[in-house]
Amino acid sequence: MTEHKYAFYLGCIAPNRYPGSESASIRTSKRLGIDLVPLEGASCCPAPGAFGSIDLNVWYAMAARNVVLAEQMGLDIALICNGCYKSIYEVNHKLKHNKELRDGVNEVLKEIDMEYKGTIDVWHLGELLYDPDIVGVDKIRESIKVPLKGVKVAAHYGCHLMKPKKERHLGSTEAPRWVEELVEALGAEAVEYRNKMQCCGAGGGVRGYDLVHSLDITNEKLINIVEAGADAVVDLCPFCQLQFDRGQIEIEEKFGIKYDMPVFHYAELLGLAQGMSPSELGLDLHAISTEPFLKKVL
Amino acid sequence: MAENPEGWQPRILAIICNWCSYAGADLAGGARIQYPPDVRAIRVMCTGRVDPLFIMKAFTDGADSVLISGCHFGDCHYLEGNFKAAKRMFLVKSLLRNIGLDDRRLRMTFVSASEGAKWAKVIEDVVNVTQELGPSPFNREYGELKELV
Amino acid sequence: MAEAVSPSTSEKPKAPRIGVFVCHCGTNIAGSIDIEAVKEYAKTLPNVGYVNDYKYQCSMPGQVTIQDAVKENDLTGVVVAACSPRLHEPTFRAATKDAGLNPFRFEMANIREQNSWVHMHDQEGATQKAKDAIRIAVAKASLLEDLYPKSVPVEHAAMVVGAGVAGMQAALDLANAGIKTYLVEKSPTIGGRMSQLDKTFPTLDCSQCILTPKMVDVGRAENIVLMVNSEVEEVEGYIGNFDVTIRRKATGVLSPAEAEAKGIVGGGCTGCGDCAPVCPVTKPNEFEMGMAPRKAIYIYHPQVVPLLYTIDWDSCVKCGLCVEACGEKKAIDLEMQDELVKVKVGTVILATGFEVFPIETKEEWGYKRYDNVITSLEFERLICASGPTGGHLVRPSDGETPMRIGFVLCAGSRDSTGVGKPYCSRFCCMYSLKHAHQIIEKIPGAVPYIFYMDIRSFGKAYEEFYYRIQDEGAKFIRGRVSNIQEDPVTKNLKVYVEDTLLGRPMELELDMVVLAAAVQPTEMTNKTRKLFGVSCSTDGWLLEAHPKLNPCGTTTAGVFVAGVCQGPKDIPDTVAQAEGAASAASIPIHRGEVELEPYYAMCIEEKCAGCGMCVNLCPYQALSLVEKDGRTVMQVTEAKCKGCGTCGGFCPGGAIWMNHFATPQIVAQIDAFLLGGEQ
Repeated sequence: MTEHKYAFYLGCIAPNRYPGSESASIRTSKRLGIDLVPLEGASCCPAPGAFGSIDLNVWYAMAARNVVLAEQMGLDIALICNGCYKSIYEVNHKLKHNKELRDGVNEVLKEIDMEYKGTIDVWHLGELLYDPDIVGVDKIRESIKVPLKGVKVAAHYGCHLMKPKKERHLGSTEAPRWVEELVEALGAEAVEYRNKMQCCGAGGGVRGYDLVHSLDITNEKLINIVEAGADAVVDLCPFCQLQFDRGQIEIEEKFGIKYDMPVFHYAELLGLAQGMSPSELGLDLHAISTEPFLKKVL
Repeated sequence: MAENPEGWQPRILAIICNWCSYAGADLAGGARIQYPPDVRAIRVMCTGRVDPLFIMKAFTDGADSVLISGCHFGDCHYLEGNFKAAKRMFLVKSLLRNIGLDDRRLRMTFVSASEGAKWAKVIEDVVNVTQELGPSPFNREYGELKELV
Repeated sequence: MAEAVSPSTSEKPKAPRIGVFVCHCGTNIAGSIDIEAVKEYAKTLPNVGYVNDYKYQCSMPGQVTIQDAVKENDLTGVVVAACSPRLHEPTFRAATKDAGLNPFRFEMANIREQNSWVHMHDQEGATQKAKDAIRIAVAKASLLEDLYPKSVPVEHAAMVVGAGVAGMQAALDLANAGIKTYLVEKSPTIGGRMSQLDKTFPTLDCSQCILTPKMVDVGRAENIVLMVNSEVEEVEGYIGNFDVTIRRKATGVLSPAEAEAKGIVGGGCTGCGDCAPVCPVTKPNEFEMGMAPRKAIYIYHPQVVPLLYTIDWDSCVKCGLCVEACGEKKAIDLEMQDELVKVKVGTVILATGFEVFPIETKEEWGYKRYDNVITSLEFERLICASGPTGGHLVRPSDGETPMRIGFVLCAGSRDSTGVGKPYCSRFCCMYSLKHAHQIIEKIPGAVPYIFYMDIRSFGKAYEEFYYRIQDEGAKFIRGRVSNIQEDPVTKNLKVYVEDTLLGRPMELELDMVVLAAAVQPTEMTNKTRKLFGVSCSTDGWLLEAHPKLNPCGTTTAGVFVAGVCQGPKDIPDTVAQAEGAASAASIPIHRGEVELEPYYAMCIEEKCAGCGMCVNLCPYQALSLVEKDGRTVMQVTEAKCKGCGTCGGFCPGGAIWMNHFATPQIVAQIDAFLLGGEQ
């Protein structure tokens, strides 16, 4: 039964760097009753930190265009990246409530024969999986074939998914528990760690502009995650994932510290627990080897 | 929306209660919050005093809008007067619709004694809506039906 | 103009001759309105017999001009175009009376608060509006009649709701003035927040030490009828004659007087405490902010007044062990029921205090998630020698003495995020300085860190106290704490703050953090104020009649406010306001009578059909149907009528005359506005 159908917005980093997240998302969702349909012609969201810091009008227009593509399909958007969420969810929200902004954006969209109407909503796959009216942790638990027993997983929520609180609806921004619950539904033990809501360091254009500073932030997170005894980090954002994953290589190069901490997108872990093979999940493409973790669970 | 006639200034009657809205209006004055001068206020002790007759008389006299303003529900100085006034407003609005007046010309608001800023906003809003609606058909100088009254 | 005559008048009215007096109010009015144009216009109005202007009409000479004009021009009514009637109606009514007219033949046109002050850049609009306002006022003044205020007797008794230091002080003053005072308190003891404090700033007096003598005085005062565990249930009446129903909640324990009344000789609760040790049920003690236990039968602390135990029915399992332990005194009655008591009082003072804002909603500081983050009131109990730890400040997580303690000021106050309160809670800066001092004094080597936005040390000797604390070595960091993280093992707190004077972010590891949480009005205050018809301001605190000129009164005649329930304030200001409220509340009582404005309703019997629909509309049950000359007509009980006009606004036959706001008078105002014009 697939009564929940969404236009699947891929973003850039997932298909380019962690294609396993894409395939895992599609397959695990299908098994859980969510139908993810390709959103043809979508562009970069556009990256909120990079574009938003330079020219807001470009940011609004490009994000709106992605929304309009889904409006034309008559489907809500589902996506798997916090950064894309900020761009597409927030711009959709702003345009729905601000006539002046909407008129301005539609002036631009007119040039490509498009019009933003404000007819669809935007969701992160994580919140769809958590929502008991759509899937819920119980259904996830029931769908598991390979419970991820004996491992401790640290949840990294990221920033743009939960904040700013006034423009989001996902609850507490200081001590949320829902991603931990999603982790526990897979059979793993979710561990709390110091300052878990801290940023990964990548967003806001910081990774691009000042890599060393962004890695300093990631390093602090890794110290806290290691201290909590985690075997892996789980995230809901391919950019956070890139920062943690590729970032550990860079941290070793620049700071001389080695962590070997496997990093997964939740979709990858969900796929693993539902029985997808590591190669189907493209885990060999990760910068940091996931072998130590796989040995414990498989 | 048709152009409003040259020289027309909205004629708006406000009937406001002594304890809340009148005090709130005074507070706006004390704070020197500026707002348009189109409203003339009459003071009553409680919005419960407002007889539908007053409102109908105002409209037949050519008022473009009428504003009734009292205390918030639960705060009426006389306990329930504002509830009763609110109920009467529904009746009067239906009467206005029946005689062909846009019922937005009658407005009831709730402004407490400490809400000076809100009073100014209420006036601005009422004046704006009246500007949008144009002169009442019964307006003695500019109304379409001025010969009838 | 149609003649409008109230049913009480028998004489034929004189043709109206109205005097119009336009005030400049310095430049307040004259600055935005063309006074000359207004005067010239007024002269053209029907019924106007005299027009003049004056710089300050409310001044003595200004009032004399009114009196002279009335006499010399044989005027029948007065219109003053000036400020708000809410300010000077009484002034000019008195002037009208001195002029020889009935004071109610006066009408005011508000051309200041609702005109010159709000249309400062539109002289044309303001002037036209002033002309209209005067035209409207003249139309009403032409129809006003003689009215005579009623005097009602004032009951020689008062009520104070809330027995914290404000309520206690007010009750003592009233009692000492010879007035029987009902002091109603919802908790089992008097004393309120002040009895929870350890020391008071800036003198560092022990709070209980200075309060308990007052508590004893209250307990002993002959004129004070103390009702604890009691709440106001219903209020009827008006100034001088409030009928208040009080619910005296069942405590399950008899006082010696109550025992005597039941025939138990030498019985009743003596506060001996034999019952508590045998009680099997333990609950958190609210007085100790939940940090110490009490039993289901309890007293908050050894110095409660009255010294009587109370049973918490939500926890009591009715095992009866306490009854056994009480033995011969037979003071415990597990079947006791609430009692409703009706009293009549002349005036009332509300002194219902405050509660602490639920600071856990500001999640970034981790209150209720981290063991070692506490509120200032919890700190007071911990540092208090009679508190749960005997005055030793210890960390909730491990009982160790903290050495590095942070104080977060403005926690939940001055908050524009929508989570906390926008206002300043006034006393937190001072008590945080006091707390810092106590730490330095009690824990050698301990360091207090004060994270502040401003230090508001406004009162007498407060600034000097601030210097003292700086000298004693407290560390002041000007910045907001953005986040607190807890070490999972040590439970120490990592505090993230920006030092805005140095312009850099800081991370400090501290053993304990105290949040100077905002204060807010209580639910009970909201419930009680509605019973008395008192408004609250937008921030929820009770609304004073005027912040400067009438800070203890409310717009409800006979009801006054004292203490924090009207707005956050420290103990000196609280006691001062309580004394002010008591003085104000005693005046009508000592005068013995009070004048009510004669705005009451009257039935025009010839027009009354006796349908009786108005009777149900009256919120004060002031109307009834009576038989008169074979007809059923409505009758007004003038003493109960408050003149709201709800009946008058409804009567389909126009048979109700509202004195001073009669239908013909109001219709005249409407007609004058819309049909009168440039003459």
